[in-house]
Amino acid sequence: MANHHAVIEKNIGLMIVLILVAVSFGGLAEIVPLFWQKATTEPISTLRPYSALEMAGRDVYIREGCHVCHTQMVRPLRAETERFGDYTVAGEDVWEHPFLWGSKRTGPDLDRVGLRPITEQWHREHLRDPRALVPESNMPAYPWLQHATVDWSTMARTLTVFQRHFGVPYSDQDIEEQMAKVNGEWADATEEDALVAYLLSLGQARREQRQ
Amino acid sequence: MSDFWSVYIIAIVVLNLVGCAFLLFANLRMTPEETRSDTTGHSFDGIQERNQPLPRWWLYLFVLTLLFSVVYLVLYPGLGRFGGLLNWSSVGQWQEEVDWVEKQTAPLFEQFAKVPIEELHAYPETRDVGGRLFANNCALCHGSDARGAKGYPNLTDDDWLYGGSADAILTSIRDGRHGQMPPMAAAVGGTDQAVRDMALYVQSLSRPSMTDQPEVAASVARAEPRFAVCAACHGQDARGNQALGAPNLTDGIWLHGARLEDIETTIREGRSGRMPPHESVLSEERLHVLAAYVYGLSQP
Repeated sequence: MANHHAVIEKNIGLMIVLILVAVSFGGLAEIVPLFWQKATTEPISTLRPYSALEMAGRDVYIREGCHVCHTQMVRPLRAETERFGDYTVAGEDVWEHPFLWGSKRTGPDLDRVGLRPITEQWHREHLRDPRALVPESNMPAYPWLQHATVDWSTMARTLTVFQRHFGVPYSDQDIEEQMAKVNGEWADATEEDALVAYLLSLGQARREQRQ
Repeated sequence: MSDFWSVYIIAIVVLNLVGCAFLLFANLRMTPEETRSDTTGHSFDGIQERNQPLPRWWLYLFVLTLLFSVVYLVLYPGLGRFGGLLNWSSVGQWQEEVDWVEKQTAPLFEQFAKVPIEELHAYPETRDVGGRLFANNCALCHGSDARGAKGYPNLTDDDWLYGGSADAILTSIRDGRHGQMPPMAAAVGGTDQAVRDMALYVQSLSRPSMTDQPEVAASVARAEPRFAVCAACHGQDARGNQALGAPNLTDGIWLHGARLEDIETTIREGRSGRMPPHESVLSEERLHVLAAYVYGLSQP
């Protein structure tokens, strides 16, 4: 009886299989069911897909690594909701590919930044020179964004990929409308315009849902 | 959560616990003789590795963790749809805490609401509570020391764009303000020289000694008659108009920069400053305390 474990210890293949079985329990119970839960697979009713300008801003956000210092995930803790706003729910991030929850707060959480009483002008000045407005800030400045025009060459493809592969409900007409704006009023938009539009869009769906 | 997933989770969790217990006890049973004679068969330089049972203290700890899991699963959510006897949830805990704090602070804010802002600003609690509200809501633009930044007014001096009375401050915070100066280049003469003349004139209002230089004096003389178009908002005496948010030009306080180039830019392109309304993010009682705090910043 006592030496049964010797069988496992002397069969490396069997041991690998049993280890995999053992460590899969947690994932099977905690992760796998989430793929079939409405709370995590269905968007909240007020969620709307990003406009082309916001999508371009999101790309800038990712490219500049904003998510390295800023989270987009307000936890249901009073100290956080008091400071940042309403806590984040899974249904807000169903169309996020990739999600930008982040994992470290060097700067404040930004998931509700669009609801804060901050003017567009402030966002622009702050991106160009954070310390001109907040002397204690250690955020890097992004002055080149105001001069860089958005590279629109891949936007039609981006929107189509989000529509076809990620299940974001853009209709073909939506994409046409967005591309008409891209070729029209947004043709000369700067990356700063795009990033600010993206920042101001954060949190809007959750506010509308709460109302 | 559907029946299937609930059962699925319960099955895995229970199987996991039972499996752990089985592994533990299956490897536990050893007679004292086995303990003495049983070896793993490994031998190094005549030293044999024996197959010993688990140390007791370690074994008891393992059993304890199993018991802990069972107690946990009875009290807290973990078994599928069963929410646990305590009915705990993270959002529920958050709500409880929010309600508790609200209950603690409501009488305090109620008390504050009865005190006029002109008196409330001197309360030490106002410094405390108002200071925190300020740090979270106002410091972004006006700075953590409330001394402002270029384009964002200093709140610690006695120079007020829209008035420094308690009511005016409360209105500024609650409803926001939108200060606008239109581009004035054409109105002051149109040429670069005319803009420079006017900028020098405006600058000399708070620095009269500038006119000791003959060129400046000449510029000022040229600009002075044209100041009438500015006076519409800033007043004949250039001391501003708080009903319009037009700044006093004679006090040497420059919201958008004191350099000649800054003033020229202001005249040429105009300025637009927006204080956003805070009605939607702060309750009336909190606005009251915050207004008292801001009022107190410039009181001696």
